Amino acid sequence: MGQNYLASLSHFIPELLACLTMFGLILIEATYKEEEKGRGFLFLAAGIGLVSVLVFSFASLGKEPVAIFTNSLIIDSFSSLMKMVMVLGTIGAVYLASTSNDIEGNLKPEFIIMATGVLVGGMLLSSANNMLVLFIGIETLSILSYVLASLKKGDERSSEAGLKYSLYGGMSSGIMLFGMSHIFGVLGSINFTEMAVVLSTVDTTQIAILLPSFLFFFAGIGYKIACVPFHMWAPDVYEGSPLPVTAFFSIVPKVAGLAALIRVSQTFFANPGALNIGWVGVLSIVAALTMTVGNVSAIGQRSVKRMLAYSSISHAGMMLMGVLVISELGTRSVIFYSVTYLFMTLAAFYVVSFVSDKYGNDHFERFTGLAFRYPLMAIALCIVMFSLAGIPPFSGFVAKFHIFTALLAKKYYVLAVIAGINSVVSLYYYLKIVRLMMLKDPESEEAISGFNIFNQGAVVALTIPVVVLGLFWEKLIVLADGAKVFLQ
Amino acid sequence: MISLSSYLFISFTLFIAGIAVMIARKNIIAMMLGIELILNSAALNFAAYTRFINNNLEGHLMSLFIIVIAAAEAAVGLAIVIRFFQIKETIHIDDAAQLQS
Repeated sequence: MGQNYLASLSHFIPELLACLTMFGLILIEATYKEEEKGRGFLFLAAGIGLVSVLVFSFASLGKEPVAIFTNSLIIDSFSSLMKMVMVLGTIGAVYLASTSNDIEGNLKPEFIIMATGVLVGGMLLSSANNMLVLFIGIETLSILSYVLASLKKGDERSSEAGLKYSLYGGMSSGIMLFGMSHIFGVLGSINFTEMAVVLSTVDTTQIAILLPSFLFFFAGIGYKIACVPFHMWAPDVYEGSPLPVTAFFSIVPKVAGLAALIRVSQTFFANPGALNIGWVGVLSIVAALTMTVGNVSAIGQRSVKRMLAYSSISHAGMMLMGVLVISELGTRSVIFYSVTYLFMTLAAFYVVSFVSDKYGNDHFERFTGLAFRYPLMAIALCIVMFSLAGIPPFSGFVAKFHIFTALLAKKYYVLAVIAGINSVVSLYYYLKIVRLMMLKDPESEEAISGFNIFNQGAVVALTIPVVVLGLFWEKLIVLADGAKVFLQ
Repeated sequence: MISLSSYLFISFTLFIAGIAVMIARKNIIAMMLGIELILNSAALNFAAYTRFINNNLEGHLMSLFIIVIAAAEAAVGLAIVIRFFQIKETIHIDDAAQLQS
């Protein structure tokens, strides 16, 4: 038994490293409380820690999938890839936090510590094979997120965002647990593998209990992805939180929730039957609604941050369609989509952050004529917007194309049509900002200090994958193809 | 004799009460109590199912973890409420209306 645990630990290195990074950061923060020098150390330590997590996750790609800690966690290529996406998102958000003025200087260490904690929760969630681990992952993710949302001291909007987040979050995790408890009662175990075995032998009365229970169970995960019936918190929280936190929220919890949802769907609902029809039906309705509501609400926004928040809701709906097909094609497309979504979102938030640091807000008018003052940044933002809208040469198109392939392979034509219409609608608000940047004259000549050489370099570095993945996507698809969800 | 169905009935009542509190009450502290009710109904369910149907301790484990995590969530939630109160001098949910589209 003891040996088993030690052997398990050797597969658990990325998570352990993330925990160690968090503890180390807390120590550094406690040692150098107010000093400027300490902050440099802190960013260095965070960078080293997160990059080593990335390296170790990469090292476990392509290895044989293993079930560790008495079968409660599964480390397979799928979870490793999802972890890499989350770590990259965290690194991006930490860099943004280090340069942004939206978080006060003495709160930056706290942001990094909490973000690393959220990352640990997300990593647990992406390889959870047990309801307990899933619950702990979601709660680690959520409880730290509440604090992150209310990070701005003395700011009315930020504390309100944290409040709304914690109330909605507490309620949805309670509903999820209530569903879990009935699933446990019927199936007699909290381990996904054992539950799936029992699930194939249930009778009609048990299915009548299981269907609503799984619906409740979905509430908890759906809340993390911000899909439609549970999305009410998202725009408010995204708007009230500081900008680096918003960038972080629109990547890490979403990817973690999707990873958990993919594993749950593939473990329980791969076999045809009443449960499968119910689950796919619910997910289809949710996905269609999520895309539509996200897109329609994004149209009327004045604030670019809020527009990006709604657009991230509609992208979540898009990714849900890759989940609900419950096929390897679907998993592959979701992995590809989340990688491209990571780079697009980060690049967009970087530019928006530097502009809003200068002007104090991020309304659309602030971007007027950006092309004449910072051509490189304007081109980068244009590429990202085209890619988010899914216009051909860029990676956003390839990602959507793969989702459509997975949908059409399962003959879900109605969903494909809805997704197509939504892509067209989303063009409107993405191109609005492109038009303002490219065709209007600038309203002021003041320099934006955020666009220094390093930050411009960072934005360009994030934009390059958006273009490159649109042209040479076979490598990533091959990688994602190897990352099948491991089922026992 | 207390049977499984009595426990399930009680926990269902708790669950409904929690949801009702979340919807009906406007006081933020009361809404947090509603969350506690929902979490406790789930914990009770786990314990009852383990006691009467599946004797494998996993349900008890879940109940214990739910209690621990509910405490953590309440701690963070109350801290946020205190911050909100310091700024707004009220704990009425309708006053949290700055962020609206």
